[in-house]
Amino acid sequence: MSTVKSKKLQIGTDATSSNNFTIYQPATPDGTLRIGVGNADSPTEVGKFDSNGYVATNAPAFSAYLSADQSVSSGVITKIQFDTEEFDTNNCFDNITNYRFTPTVAGYYQINASLRSEGSSLSLAAFYIYKNGSSIFIPALDTEHSSTTHISGSTLVHCNGTSDYIEIYGRVDGSSPKFGNDNCRFSGFLARAV
Amino acid sequence: MILYEKIKTLYTELTDEDFTPEGTIMLQNDSDGKGDYIKSWNHPTLAKPTQEQLDGVQ
Repeated sequence: MSTVKSKKLQIGTDATSSNNFTIYQPATPDGTLRIGVGNADSPTEVGKFDSNGYVATNAPAFSAYLSADQSVSSGVITKIQFDTEEFDTNNCFDNITNYRFTPTVAGYYQINASLRSEGSSLSLAAFYIYKNGSSIFIPALDTEHSSTTHISGSTLVHCNGTSDYIEIYGRVDGSSPKFGNDNCRFSGFLARAV
Repeated sequence: MILYEKIKTLYTELTDEDFTPEGTIMLQNDSDGKGDYIKSWNHPTLAKPTQEQLDGVQ
């Protein structure tokens, strides 16, 4: 039995380097195995494994929340200003200006959101998932509670990895309606790249 | 007076049903500092009010 010891193994010898792959160990070993596109002399990493298996390094995931109550007008579908990030692995969420998620990898994303509605004499609380400025889904709608209520929901959405973006809008009908900072959250992650 | 109330003042025949998520009128605010506006108006008989009409409601 023979053992081949090498830090890089190129798969393919095509004249076009992007048709070849390289399995390699990083220059400074860190317990990971990398897979790259290109020849062994300059592969571009596309995958990474460690002792636990595949490590998803290029899979956007984020979670953001509302840091203070947001007052709204009754009956008006209003974008929720998720202004604080809990995490944002690929810097795809804008928590400053547009409060939107614009993922940089094409694929199917699970989008989760929750809304805490506050006010009095409430007749309706709902939130909407918007893609590229238009509502695509109303995951939750409550007409049963006249004061504080908490609703949540999720869906899968395809994003092209360049221009597609996701936002959450909410609506509360009643007196002094607002989105409560407690439990207003927006999160998402890549479920499957395409 | 909020937008919803202005519209109801202009068109007293409108009901709350017109403003439900399945209704004919959709009001929106994009949290961009521009305020509430009529996102869509699909009422079968009443015309979408102009900004001038809305501004005239006290």
